[in-house]
Amino acid sequence: MGLIKRLTDWIDCRIGVRGIVAKELTGYLLPANINAWYSMGSILLFIFGMQVATGILLLIYYVPEADKAFKSVTFIMNDVPFGWLIRMCHAVGSNMMVLILLFHMLSVLFMGSYKRPRELNWLSGFILFNLIMGISLTGYLLPWSQLSFWATTVATNSVSSIPVVGQFLVEFLRGAKLVGPPTLGRFFALHVTVLPLAIAGLIGAHLFFLKRTGVSTPPFGAKEGDSKWQGDAYRYEDHPGGIPFFPNYALQDAISIALYLAFFLSVVFFDPYLFFTRESFVAANPFLTPAHIKPEWYFLANYQTLKIFPNEFIGLSVQGAAMTFLALLPFIDRGDERHPLKRPLFMAAAIGGILLWIGLSIWGHYS
Amino acid sequence: MVNEERRKFLGICLGGITASAAVVVGYPVYRYLAPLQKEHAAGKVVIPEQEVPAGGARFFEYAGSTAVLVRKQGGDLVALSAVCTHLGCIVQWEKEKQDFLCPCHAGRFSSEGVVISGPPPKPLAKLPFVVANGVITVG
Repeated sequence: MGLIKRLTDWIDCRIGVRGIVAKELTGYLLPANINAWYSMGSILLFIFGMQVATGILLLIYYVPEADKAFKSVTFIMNDVPFGWLIRMCHAVGSNMMVLILLFHMLSVLFMGSYKRPRELNWLSGFILFNLIMGISLTGYLLPWSQLSFWATTVATNSVSSIPVVGQFLVEFLRGAKLVGPPTLGRFFALHVTVLPLAIAGLIGAHLFFLKRTGVSTPPFGAKEGDSKWQGDAYRYEDHPGGIPFFPNYALQDAISIALYLAFFLSVVFFDPYLFFTRESFVAANPFLTPAHIKPEWYFLANYQTLKIFPNEFIGLSVQGAAMTFLALLPFIDRGDERHPLKRPLFMAAAIGGILLWIGLSIWGHYS
Repeated sequence: MVNEERRKFLGICLGGITASAAVVVGYPVYRYLAPLQKEHAAGKVVIPEQEVPAGGARFFEYAGSTAVLVRKQGGDLVALSAVCTHLGCIVQWEKEKQDFLCPCHAGRFSSEGVVISGPPPKPLAKLPFVVANGVITVG
């Protein structure tokens, strides 16, 4: 103890760490009625860290070349000690990241935390959501399996329905007329440099907005009025009499992360191929299209939407309109009420939207 | 009121759990990163005699490292490690001078691996070999 105290004193004399701890951790007060849903962001940060760590480890053995990619992944799975564990953590982790991200968005939606003055939090989060979908899509191609190859063919092909520039965009995205070695090169570059950097930067912006505006008060059991934002000037929403972030809420974060890990590791160890199909274990063959190729579960609703409209462009436009509506939600839903039970129109639309998404996904899965 | 005994006990438990978690995560990562064990065919390398002409040298992989076979002008064979004893560069055979030069820092070794000049502190390591039926077996 003496040594730790002396070391802390030494550092504190130079950069004032105790001041930072008092201001940002023990003195950083959160709403007294804060709940476990507020820890979704911490779980996501943890998952992102794990994806980066396992991704760096995979880069040691992975070869981003069409002739060698599948072999290198097989080598990681079969020959490198614990390679299977690192790869499974990365593959399952990417699915979990999308799942937890959806929960995070749902909690923000139902608790009305996206409402003013937090439009920038919502927008940065919404862009993050799209980038996560992008990093999942680009990572999907890298094992160069039949599933990777044909799911990417289908996913990139949908862009071709955009009038005039569609075909050009598809070829630009693929680097060739069809998915092939040039596609692997550009998807690899996007997956390991551009997208992770963009995501890290936006996470920084997202947290910055959170820190500047202050954590929103949950609508359940909230006291009305004392820190209402008027829209005339910047105002930090503080929570006098709230609970400290450290140790109180940090413990909640740790519990949530531990529960997440229990769930995540149970998939990794007991059902690692949950998100894999037979085609994931066969090397890509550009001359052999497998039957019933399907995208990942989180793209199934998009996939089915494209199928049910007679014209692909209409299907794409409907999706674009839905995403634009969701992105601009804080500017459309401008009421001050945040309690979900006091927002019947929102509740009806949200539950209808979720059911539609689930329905389309199931339909897409079985179609 | 803080119960110091209880706090100490919980602190020890937390430290133990953290240490166990670090081992559980650290061990697979260490094994993943550790150099892979390659099999070296029982440590023996077989080279046909005609591949080492008089006055010439033949470099080859041996036990995960680089080695060289030299046939001196007189016909005698020598098998040596090709790793310079100075800073680990691979020595080059100079046919005209019939000796080894390490290009990194100009260390010079005789065809027997003995240091002639330059910074190498030790001679090149000699490797065991046998010649039978026109085949050289090193190791």
